[in-house]
Amino acid sequence: MRRLLAGLAAAALAGSLVACGSDSGGGAKTESGADQVKVGVIPIVDVAPIYLGQQKGFFKNRNIELALEAGQGGAAIVPGVVNNQTQFGFSNLTSLMIAQTKGLPIKAVAAGVSSTGEAGKDFGAVVVKADSPIKTAKDLAGKKISVNTLKNIGDTVTRESVRKAGGDDKALNFVEMAFPTMPAALEKGEIDAAWVVEPQLSTIKAAGGREIASTFVDAAPNLTVAAYFTSQKLITENADLVKRFTEAINESLTYADAHPDEVRAVLATYTKIDEKQRASLVLPKWPTQINKESVQTLASLGEKDGIFTGTPDLAKLLP
Amino acid sequence: MTTARPANPVRSGNPALLGVAGLAGLLLVIELVPRIGLVDERFLPPASTIAGALADEASDAAFWAALADTIVAWAIGLAVAVVAGVLAGLVIGSVPVLRALTASTVEFLRPIPSVALIPLAVLMYGTDLGSTLLLVCYASFWQVLVQVLYGVADVDPVAFETAKSFRFSAWARIRHVLWPTALPYVFTGVRLAASVALVLAITAELVIGSPGLGKEIAVAQSSDAVPTMYALVVVTGLLGVLINLLARTGERRLLAWHQSVRGEVPV
Repeated sequence: MRRLLAGLAAAALAGSLVACGSDSGGGAKTESGADQVKVGVIPIVDVAPIYLGQQKGFFKNRNIELALEAGQGGAAIVPGVVNNQTQFGFSNLTSLMIAQTKGLPIKAVAAGVSSTGEAGKDFGAVVVKADSPIKTAKDLAGKKISVNTLKNIGDTVTRESVRKAGGDDKALNFVEMAFPTMPAALEKGEIDAAWVVEPQLSTIKAAGGREIASTFVDAAPNLTVAAYFTSQKLITENADLVKRFTEAINESLTYADAHPDEVRAVLATYTKIDEKQRASLVLPKWPTQINKESVQTLASLGEKDGIFTGTPDLAKLLP
Repeated sequence: MTTARPANPVRSGNPALLGVAGLAGLLLVIELVPRIGLVDERFLPPASTIAGALADEASDAAFWAALADTIVAWAIGLAVAVVAGVLAGLVIGSVPVLRALTASTVEFLRPIPSVALIPLAVLMYGTDLGSTLLLVCYASFWQVLVQVLYGVADVDPVAFETAKSFRFSAWARIRHVLWPTALPYVFTGVRLAASVALVLAITAELVIGSPGLGKEIAVAQSSDAVPTMYALVVVTGLLGVLINLLARTGERRLLAWHQSVRGEVPV
């Protein structure tokens, strides 16, 4: 009896630990023979082309059954791709370079999103309250500036804006904060300035906020901000799938760039941005080429700020 | 006895009516606070605006799918936790050696917040239902287990010895002595676990981005859709009330024979 009970107890304990959930393998085939591909994305404006491309059938045409995993926060996307839980991912290039210098086997396969290249009309910027004494990036010295992730693209490009304006980039006080909390924090005066992207950028501007630096524009001309990437393993094992995915993404990017109205419409399917804001927010650019020169600049800036543990190997990272 | 019994505070008004009045008061406060400018309307919209957003959500199929996802995750997670908790509790509780062996381990594992396991969950199950379930199961399992352990410890030793001397089989002793004693504790555990499971299901969806109401809240947040976000928060609150009502009703029905319920004032 005792022995039986002890066995039961062990089984029950073990069961309770493993009974939750099932294994999720990736890269399977559907019944019709199409490749099932999961892509890790963040539900923001930047990834509108892939949603649009899915709607338009650009992936289906290439025998790819696309599933978009809009998990919170980009932090989980890189591990997801490395573990093959998702086959592709969307991430900003600084994050990709950080991952690469840490030795993660990843490679960019297509451009993700690019700056518009026009100061004052870009999708990311540093903003302040209407009555703030801060007039230019130079005045940011000694001020509290929020970024969504510390030691990432936000603080790197903001530092560059401050340097270009002749300010002291070492005197900046960055704090980490989620984009959605920034409008309220700025309003309350908890932060002096916020580095934001759309839609928070238009929210703050609509409330009277002032843009003092178009950081992506200051960092490099026509900066490629983010890219779609995959694991080295998938490239070796299924080069054909990677090729088809890249073609489909490129077609989606080209289509999105040429059809801003459809982009604004597709936003309604995966975000909850209201109609008014959808019509007015600044859309980024979606060229198919990764601007390698701009990525090199981003790498040098990141190295200068000490956010990498080594030197990013762009020849290996970029397609 | 001729002296009138002092009025029971719960009976001094219709409880259902009082509950509704309390809720109406809360709604009024949320309507007024932004209207008179105590809080910026952009960050806490008035109740009527939230209600409007709620109506919009209700006409959206995606909202109902998310609600279903959350309920499914809650139900599966709770069921797994209850079955595992009851089995483990009965076994550990009735074997003193096991109980001594596991006591410190249980006390070590129990206070670990489920959310601390999020990286592990994401590593194992990605952003699927599995991640939500891992957190839900982990959090609710301890609620049930600990209650069952208390329940088993509460068995009347005389009754147990009597059953033994009547040569009840091990199964019969569990069925007729142990189980009836432990049952009220089991229900308390289930009721606690039901709420905890909901909190963890929403939290997991919110943080991990697994499908469900929590994810919708996160998307609303990142879209600056403040009224929609509050509308979804209201839905999770309503879900909580519903689950609690369900658990209480179930407990009263199934334990109608037990003195802990017989003595309880109907709510």
